[in-house]
Parts: sequence; structure tokens; C-alpha cells
Amino acid sequence: MGYEWDFSVVLRDFDLLALGLLNTLKVTGLALLFGVPLGLLLALLRLYGNFVVRAPVGLVIEFLRSTPPIAQLFWFFFALPILTGIEIDPFRASVLTFSLQSSAFFAEVFRGGIVSIDSGQWEASKALGMNRNETLRRVILPQAVKRMIPAFLERAIELMKTTTLVSTISYADLLYQANSIAQSTYRALEVFSIAAAIYFVVIFCCSMLVRVVEARLAIAGEAAH
Amino acid sequence: MGYEFDFSAVFTNWQLLLIGLRNSIILGVTCLTLGLSLGLVVGTMRYARAPVLNWPATAFIEVFRNTPVLVQIMWFFFAFPIISPFEIDAFTAASLGLTLNTAAFSAEIFRAGIQSIERGQWEAGKALGMPYLDQLRRIVLPQAIRRMVPAFMNRAVELMKMTSLASVIAYGELMHKAKQISTLEFNPIEMYTSVALIFFVLIYPMALLVQRFELKLKDAVRS
Repeated sequence: MGYEWDFSVVLRDFDLLALGLLNTLKVTGLALLFGVPLGLLLALLRLYGNFVVRAPVGLVIEFLRSTPPIAQLFWFFFALPILTGIEIDPFRASVLTFSLQSSAFFAEVFRGGIVSIDSGQWEASKALGMNRNETLRRVILPQAVKRMIPAFLERAIELMKTTTLVSTISYADLLYQANSIAQSTYRALEVFSIAAAIYFVVIFCCSMLVRVVEARLAIAGEAAH
Repeated sequence: MGYEFDFSAVFTNWQLLLIGLRNSIILGVTCLTLGLSLGLVVGTMRYARAPVLNWPATAFIEVFRNTPVLVQIMWFFFAFPIISPFEIDAFTAASLGLTLNTAAFSAEIFRAGIQSIERGQWEAGKALGMPYLDQLRRIVLPQAIRRMVPAFMNRAVELMKMTSLASVIAYGELMHKAKQISTLEFNPIEMYTSVALIFFVLIYPMALLVQRFELKLKDAVRS
């Protein structure tokens, strides 16, 4: 083709990319921090709430799962401030969106895990005189969480991939930095390739970790039987 | 709050939105068709033991599964044209990214589905004198496809959501039209709310269908 590759410009701006990666991890981490407990709450409300709670919670979960994350992000960034009159910066809009978005998916993971526990466990706890909350906390959840770990980690990886959307509202994540370097250096091919490679290394390592954990859990599960 | 909602501009621009919706669906259907076809090829290669087939397929799958799809789209739009011999417009770039992404994910579904079929089925085909591809096409795939359907439908749901990313490179799909209209009419609340609702109406029935099908399959396995 005769295209001369030149990675020097990218290497010169490598600190910007590193900063971008840090911001990507920051948004992912915070969204996990808020999204997981919120997901548990939503799952419990959907499973055990009374009818008045159950229906709207279910609707919220399905809505968040069935609309594109970019539509949600734009809504929280462009629409919400007008509605509430409160200014919101790209960082907060991102954390808010992805906490809510991931909580819907985590809720389904929690629900699946809780439902998968044999009903005999509930009966045994009842026989021991435990009430529902105690049974959930001390018997059901500890067993369910173990089964959910792989699904959780997978969701976390999906979340990290989805956070690239924050670049569209000018939050300086890895993709945003790559884009701005590409524009200032006219080296789009090198910059985007390097950015993709960085994402690949980080996400691939996480995926490998998931596979190891999955294999360990499978072995532990077999040993228990 | 005191904000007065005014959805009239959403309705006066319904034609633009309809074009956007049409483009979203065109993009989604194109990428689903191409992605599943390519996924079958890659999945079969991944299942093969020969390293010449297995290795490139594995590399392809890992690369496209472990990078964000937005990065893939941006790469095909901004980076790829530099080395590509032909022009690449927004639709082509988005299609390339979404198709290859879908192919990588569905390849793993195909592989898992093929793997779930007993070895004896292959051997029976072989005993009847069928060549490898015939065993795959006439014996293994027809049995495997049924088990794979919910996973594929899930991919379709994910893909439909992902088409909205094409708005980032200014392909005129629904999200992009919404952005345009909201800048012209200064109605981000009404516009983005409406667009979220349109997507929900489009995607939620698909998600419901997946759930129904999964249940049916579970019943079929039990009986």
C-alpha cells in the first residue's frame, strides 16, 4: 500500500492515553461500586416486594436493559439538567448512567442466582426458625453469590466496554484521548490501533481471569458433590 | 421543576425519525445477516482441530470479543480508510464493525452448539459415507441450531442496541436523527425521551420473545 507507519507521535502522547485509561477504569469502578448494591436492591424488590413495588421495578429493569446505553447517557447528560435545573458534568452523567444501566443487568444476575437455590434451603431455614430476611442473608445469598461470580465478572467486562460511550459526551476516557490525538496528529491509523490494543490487553486479561475463576468454581462445585 | 413538556416538535419531525428508524433497522438486519453467516464459518473453523483453521479463528474471535464495539466502529471509520483501497462511508464503517463483532460472538455460539452434539452423531454420518461438511450440514447443524436460537436472538437484541453507536460517526440512524432534531428544536428532553421509548418498543418485544423461547426450550429438554 505504501503507507508509512509512524508510531512516534503516539508514543509521545502516551501519557494522555494512560490518563484516558485511568479515567475509563475510574468510571467503570464507580459504576460497579454503585451498580452492584443497587442491582441487589432491585432484584430483592422485584422478587419479594409487594405488587405496587414489583411492577414498576420490573419495568425500570426491562427499560434499562432494552434501550441503547447511548440513549440513556444522552438523556442524563442533555435532558436531565433541563428537567431538574441542576448542572451535570460529563463525569457525573457517565457515572450516573452506567451505575443505573449496569444495576439493571446486575439485578437480573442476582435474581437468577437467588432463584437457582433449591427451595429445600428455604424450608430448612424455616424449620430452624429463621425469618425471610435472615434466610436470605445467611443461607441463600452466600450460596447464590458464589454461583453468580462468573456472570458478575462478565457483566463488569461488558460495562468496561460500554463506558467507551462517555467519549461522546467529551469525558476524557481512553477512546476520547485517542480521538483527540488522532485529530491533532493526523495519525488516526496508529492512534486508534494502539488504543484498540490497549483495550484488548486490559479486557483480554480480565476475560482470562474470568475463565480461571470459572474453572476453579467448577472444580469446587464438583468436589462439593 | 415547573418544566413544561412540549412534544409537538417530536411529532412534526416524525418523517425524519421514521427515516432514522428505517436506517437503524437496515443497519441491524444487514449486520445480523452478514454477522451470523460469517459467524458460522468462523465458528466451524474454531471447532476444527487443524491449527491453520483454528488459530486464525481464535485470534479473530478474541480480538473482536475483547475490544469495545465503539472502538471497532471508530477504527473502521477513522483509521481503516487510510490503508483501505476503497472509500468507506459511515454506513460501511458501522456495518464492518458491527458485522465482525456479531460474527465473533455468534461464532462462539455456533462452536458451543456444535460441541453440544454428541460425537456419535458425527460418527454415524461418517459410517453412512458422508464427507465432513455433509455431516455438519445435514446432521449436526439441524440439531444444534435449535439449541442456539435463544442465544442468537440475544445477539439480535444486543445488535439492535449497538446500531445506535453508528450515530457517533454520523450515520443517519434513529439516535443521530434525534440529536439533529434536538439541536434544531431545542427539545432534548422530549426528543431523547421519545427516542428511548421508540427503542424500547422496538427491542423489548424481541427480549420477551427470547425469554419465551428459552422457557419453551427448557420444557422441551425436560420432556
